[in-house]
Amino acid sequence: MSTSKAITVKTTFNRETSVSIDIHADVAIVWALLTNAADYPRWNSTVVSIEGAIALGETIRLKSTLDPKRTFKLQVKAFEAEKQLIWGDGQGNRVYTLAQSAPDTVTFSMVEKIGGLIFPLYANYIPSFDQAFDRFAADLKKEAENIND
Amino acid sequence: MNTQHLNTEFESLRGPLKSFLLRITASVADAEDLVHDTYLKAADKIDTFRAESTLKTWIFTIASNLAKDNLRAKKRWVENVTDITKAAALGNPKFFQEALHLRATSPQGDFEIKEHIAFCFTCIAKSLPLEQQICLLLKEVYEFKVSEIVQIIDANEAMVKYYLHTGRSKMMQIFDQRCALINKEGICHQCSELNGIFNPQQNFQEEVVKIEMARVAEKADKEHLFDLRMQILQGIDPFESNAAALQLHHLEHNRQVMENYLQKKVD
Repeated sequence: MSTSKAITVKTTFNRETSVSIDIHADVAIVWALLTNAADYPRWNSTVVSIEGAIALGETIRLKSTLDPKRTFKLQVKAFEAEKQLIWGDGQGNRVYTLAQSAPDTVTFSMVEKIGGLIFPLYANYIPSFDQAFDRFAADLKKEAENIND
Repeated sequence: MNTQHLNTEFESLRGPLKSFLLRITASVADAEDLVHDTYLKAADKIDTFRAESTLKTWIFTIASNLAKDNLRAKKRWVENVTDITKAAALGNPKFFQEALHLRATSPQGDFEIKEHIAFCFTCIAKSLPLEQQICLLLKEVYEFKVSEIVQIIDANEAMVKYYLHTGRSKMMQIFDQRCALINKEGICHQCSELNGIFNPQQNFQEEVVKIEMARVAEKADKEHLFDLRMQILQGIDPFESNAAALQLHHLEHNRQVMENYLQKKVD
């Protein structure tokens, strides 16, 4: 069983936030939700918009409720259907992982690691991701289970 | 199964098949061509039909595949299609001249609010991804089961559920924001505007309360209002109704406007 709240681990040069949750739905539904860019704002309360195609090598433009005035240009770095999705930029990566943990259960995990040599200079200006991660995971679970029913 | 049996079945399905293809393509010419191509392909492949599905499902599978091929290279429309096409119509005196001529002379030249609701759905549904549009029409208007849609679009059940849920949610959201028939704050009043032009003697409010979706809008939830909207589509054959000529003229106008609009965006 995996329904933990988001956890953040900080070091001098990086910060890693992670969350995972069990979703009782077909993995294809969870994957479809994670990879349909235009549909995110409908079900995900942490996303204002995502423009572009979520496909390997593509660049997407993401606006988050954490900082709606800012547009993050992110490259899709890994795209393994129904298993793993990674997007990121020079400051860090976000890794989505799906694992079939029971016949009707998918364990969804999301990890974002940001950092680098100059991370200590701007670390205090980056808001906590914990609440947004919890909401993202809860929204995904709710929507996927609603579709699956 | 032989060709004679196919011919009989095909004729009974021709009406719904043609309206399905019209609602997918928004083009009378394409819908007619696709019905013809569907028949030719079905006749050619009838020996391979193994009755693993109903003949209706098999024929709709052929038609859906042909429609997908037809639309593959074409851009999807946009949510505010009715704003764009309204602006184009207002700037084109010929549009209203033709429409008023049809209204005055065609036996299918009536303007009916229900017909316009169905027409509006056709236009806005073309902003959905194609799979969502096809699944939504098959389920909500042509009453196929999920298991049949799985066969028609060759996807697994989970994805069909995803397409249905997402398409339905998106359309509910669009209508809730736009449609003044169900939301007083809605920004689209084309039903009443067009009714004023084509039926100047009518009292719009008296007409609109005859439509259950509008009558119960304040009390009903979005899901129920969407179901009522789908019931309106189920009850209308866009080629055979008393308003067919006017609505098909309007649809052809919108198709041309949207193709030009989308082409300019590419350029």
